[in-house]
Amino acid sequence: MPVEIPKDQWPGEVRTVTIGATAEEGGTRSRVVTVGGEKTLPFMHFEAETPNPPVVAIEIKDRRPDDWSPLLLDVWGDVANDPAAWAKAAEEAGADLIELMFSLTDAEGNPITPESAVTTVRAVLEATGLPLLVFGPGQAEVDNELLVPVAEATKGERIVLGICEDKNYRTIVAAALANDHLVSARTPMDVNLAKQLNILITDMGLPPDRVLMDPTTGALGYGIEYGYSVMERLRLAALQGDAMTQFPMIVTPGFEAWKAKESKVGEGVPESWGDWEGRAINWETLTAITLIEAGADIVVLRHPESVRRIKAAIEELMTVPEMA
Amino acid sequence: MYIIGENIHIISKRVKEALAERDARFFQELAVRQVEAGAQALDLNLGPRKKDWEEVFPWMVETVEAVVDVPLSFDSTNIQGIEAGLKKVTKAQPIINSTSAEPERLEKVPLLAKKYNTKLIALTMGKGGIPVAADERVNIAIEKLIPRMLEIDFPIEDLIIDPLVLTVSGCQEYCPELIEAVRTLQVVWDPPPAISVGLSNVSNAVPRENRSLINRTYCAMLMGAGLKMMIADPLDEKLKEVIHTIETRDDSTPVKRLYLRIHDRIAAMEEPTIEDVDMSDPEQAAIWKTVQILLNKVIYADSYLQQ
Repeated sequence: MPVEIPKDQWPGEVRTVTIGATAEEGGTRSRVVTVGGEKTLPFMHFEAETPNPPVVAIEIKDRRPDDWSPLLLDVWGDVANDPAAWAKAAEEAGADLIELMFSLTDAEGNPITPESAVTTVRAVLEATGLPLLVFGPGQAEVDNELLVPVAEATKGERIVLGICEDKNYRTIVAAALANDHLVSARTPMDVNLAKQLNILITDMGLPPDRVLMDPTTGALGYGIEYGYSVMERLRLAALQGDAMTQFPMIVTPGFEAWKAKESKVGEGVPESWGDWEGRAINWETLTAITLIEAGADIVVLRHPESVRRIKAAIEELMTVPEMA
Repeated sequence: MYIIGENIHIISKRVKEALAERDARFFQELAVRQVEAGAQALDLNLGPRKKDWEEVFPWMVETVEAVVDVPLSFDSTNIQGIEAGLKKVTKAQPIINSTSAEPERLEKVPLLAKKYNTKLIALTMGKGGIPVAADERVNIAIEKLIPRMLEIDFPIEDLIIDPLVLTVSGCQEYCPELIEAVRTLQVVWDPPPAISVGLSNVSNAVPRENRSLINRTYCAMLMGAGLKMMIADPLDEKLKEVIHTIETRDDSTPVKRLYLRIHDRIAAMEEPTIEDVDMSDPEQAAIWKTVQILLNKVIYADSYLQQ
């Protein structure tokens, strides 16, 4: 007996957002990355075409990080001492995007200066042709201090500036507006706050196709179900036609997963937990794939093996099965 | 609409200060203002008063009963404090606010209500918290609250069931379910218990300038579901205007007609539709957007009216 698969017809769709600009478009990138445009829930290929696959950004730091797992520092090796070399290595590892994250201080403990931030971003742009996301250390005032000059020095590159949150969105949005960049709007795992920030940002006149939203998530075992629910609810609202939720979503499973004890710690844990590195990569991969299933358009990862596995999984998920 | 005035509430900074200073005049004025504005009972939310209940509850009863005759609603978790207050009551039949279906509260509070011949507000909240679904809240009333009243021979006419309003800012999925809970609770028992809600809770954590709009729109919807009693702000003139509009079927302006339409749609178990609204009128557009968030059709955000 033939079975008719019921199909939902959604009235809304996620906006399409393009990151990076080629020389023709006023930037220097060798290619651009386009995300969003979904007209149905993730990978429901029988309902509607998913025009753009989820993509992977690799997180690099402006200097060798003090607080990263030795597993990560070992696998990246010497390139972690030099953001330009690191960006190149990340591109070779399969990244679609590079997320450059500034530290609060340099190795000697002095604050990162705006001048050195600009120099670092220029060097990274030189070393890779991939589109860039540039994130401050996550303290609103410091973020403003570093990101504004970076935005000005890279006008036209369509960089994603972050973190844009309720405390500092005015400054970051103004910098993006004036210099043809995008913003990543972060809120703490709350649908109401996510939508509110999107309203505030677009009210300032930033075109909505230059906004990504970061609803924040937790790692596997550390609140991922809350993150998942928030993303699912935002995506359902977007498909139902709520214009202020129709933004592609970016999440940071690398950051979250490598904070978890299961990834971070190799000693003093039960033997039954098995091989440390295998476990850590699994943690990052499972966190990321879960969020992709929840609707993430960009996942930011740290370990090259996780990148390889996630890229392979995305390819499989994007394969449209033959319908009988 | 029977309004239990909510304004003597410890969360208010001025109430807190006045209570600390035992400023009788402040409370007397607030009581009189509420009653003159139409409150038919007064809620007294003094907090638990763990240290000074023995003195505070009787003091408040004496203070307020010196100027008004309406029933007093003792809104506290402190049973001893409530009893100390009840002993002082000389005027109308008081209200205890509240018991829940949590075993310990359900054991003790109804006995106190019976002993002092009070009305009793009972929350549809059990050990597991407040269920989202209307049916589950109704079930708590049928399976826990009402049976306990029958067990101790407490008159169902004195029972007031409160199916619990939660804020649209954070608990949005509860808002449409509450409307259905109000509707269903009216037919679960014969004689039916009274139903009351704390209306202003729907706009907790909402920016001040939008609270009244959300409260009065929800009020119109809840009246459509049959609500006849609530704890609310009797000093909110716009809220009272909506109540008056619905009670008198006053269709003299387009906005009043919209509130009536919303009420009638809910009464007919329908959803208000955009055809009911003249979107070129900003006031009607704001009411429509508010209906949309209260029905959980559109995600709430503090700036939802700007969208």
